[in-house]
Amino acid sequence: MAEKFPQPVVDQIYTLNLGPQHPSTHGVLRVLLDLDGEIIIKADPVIGYGHRGHEKMGENRLYKQFMPNTSRMDYLSGMIFNHGYCLAVEKLANIEVPERARYIRVICSELNRISSHLLWFGTYVMDLGGFTPFLYAFDDREQILDILDRVSGSRLTYSYCRFGGVTADIDYEFVDQTRAFLKRLRSRWPDYHNLVTKNVIFIHRTRDVGVISPQLAQEYGVTGPSLRAAGIPFDMRKIEPYEVYDRFDFEIPVGTKGDALDRYYVRMEEMEQSCRIIEQALDGLPKGPFINDEVPSSLKPPKGEVYFAFESARGQTGYYLVSDGSKYPYRCHIRVPSFGNLNVLTEVLRGTLVADAISILGSVDVVIPEIDR
Amino acid sequence: MDEGYQAGVVFAALTPSDKLRDAAVALKKLGFFVETMTGFEYTDTQEVVYHFNCFLEPKSRLALRVLCGEGMGVPSLADLFAGAIWLEREVHEFFGIAFDGAPDLRRLLLPEDADYYPLKKTFGTVQAFRKRDEIYG
Repeated sequence: MAEKFPQPVVDQIYTLNLGPQHPSTHGVLRVLLDLDGEIIIKADPVIGYGHRGHEKMGENRLYKQFMPNTSRMDYLSGMIFNHGYCLAVEKLANIEVPERARYIRVICSELNRISSHLLWFGTYVMDLGGFTPFLYAFDDREQILDILDRVSGSRLTYSYCRFGGVTADIDYEFVDQTRAFLKRLRSRWPDYHNLVTKNVIFIHRTRDVGVISPQLAQEYGVTGPSLRAAGIPFDMRKIEPYEVYDRFDFEIPVGTKGDALDRYYVRMEEMEQSCRIIEQALDGLPKGPFINDEVPSSLKPPKGEVYFAFESARGQTGYYLVSDGSKYPYRCHIRVPSFGNLNVLTEVLRGTLVADAISILGSVDVVIPEIDR
Repeated sequence: MDEGYQAGVVFAALTPSDKLRDAAVALKKLGFFVETMTGFEYTDTQEVVYHFNCFLEPKSRLALRVLCGEGMGVPSLADLFAGAIWLEREVHEFFGIAFDGAPDLRRLLLPEDADYYPLKKTFGTVQAFRKRDEIYG
């Protein structure tokens, strides 16, 4: 006679630890999931494993000394964080920036944005079980890292921008390499779309999964591609044009439903728009100095404060700097986009399947060290 | 550059703490969201600064500044903006500022047993600890 096994209690709810080390949580994120079978009842992201106290460091360093910290928050778009920090301090201290430097910064920032999106593309599809696109994406991303490595000396944590310009000028080889890269990347789009965008398994894993509506975005302060996928064209490059973005012709791609598939479409289209910006910037690259030589290395901005917002690869980022007239900022606060983008998952993950949770986490593209600061 | 937007906000209003919730309700109706929230410490007082922004209107960021003396609380906005829960947890753990009516004030980025407030000007290395008027006077 068959032995009778004990049957599970009906309505048994149990807690599952997703992370802190899990292949699909990029960085050390831990999510406490209360599960009823495979359905998530409650999700509580536990963050702070990568907290380094950047804000405190910012208050104890010269303005210039904080530069390396900025690219270590969101290490995937370090150039954009450098760029934004420079713009914030330049606004605070009224520093003039030569035209050429402005163009160089835009080109490098947009290259960085593409590299960040490519990494997201590769890892996201790998989360969903497809390994091949990952290799394609990293192959392309490597080209960008080589280009940026030549001018800045680093692959990830650039610290390339300076108050009033950039550390080194770009040369003809940089321009040629960048143009060749754009040509190559554009020739790869059909491969990407054939491999992933038209893949029926991919579509089933992402369509109608993890919908972030505009109302939800407003409650949680969601920004970036996750917000634009819901149909709101909120991009700092257009809303509060900084640097020379208002001179270029580009579009803000938006989705309609705000699901994971829309977020995917928005990011893929954003890469193409970044290519357009880079092309126009390369065409219009002015001659002249690449840095304002008159900026002292220990800067003393006048008393006052500035809140400077810019668009990083993940959304709206802001530096809030308060100067008391001394060499050190009195307060240095950083608004990071992933903070709100991860926070919203407490709501979005409720009622979904665990398998979808992996897809949603990947599609929102959070960078944990940026949240932890 | 737009002169009126020099500091990155349309305006910054010093808000009494009992008017904060009224202001937040009105802003929510207009479609604003809490962009960020942070604290300040001075020798004479403490302050919480809220930055609100709107998806629909360009360049609409505004700041509400709420003064709160040592030991005084600030009303929580958690029931209006769900995202404020994490922001309040962050300000609370960094500055020790209490939020009245906040549903959750556990440590967010610090270890759960942290008994210090690292962004207070009495903690660790500090370059300057000033009166509020010395900066905004």
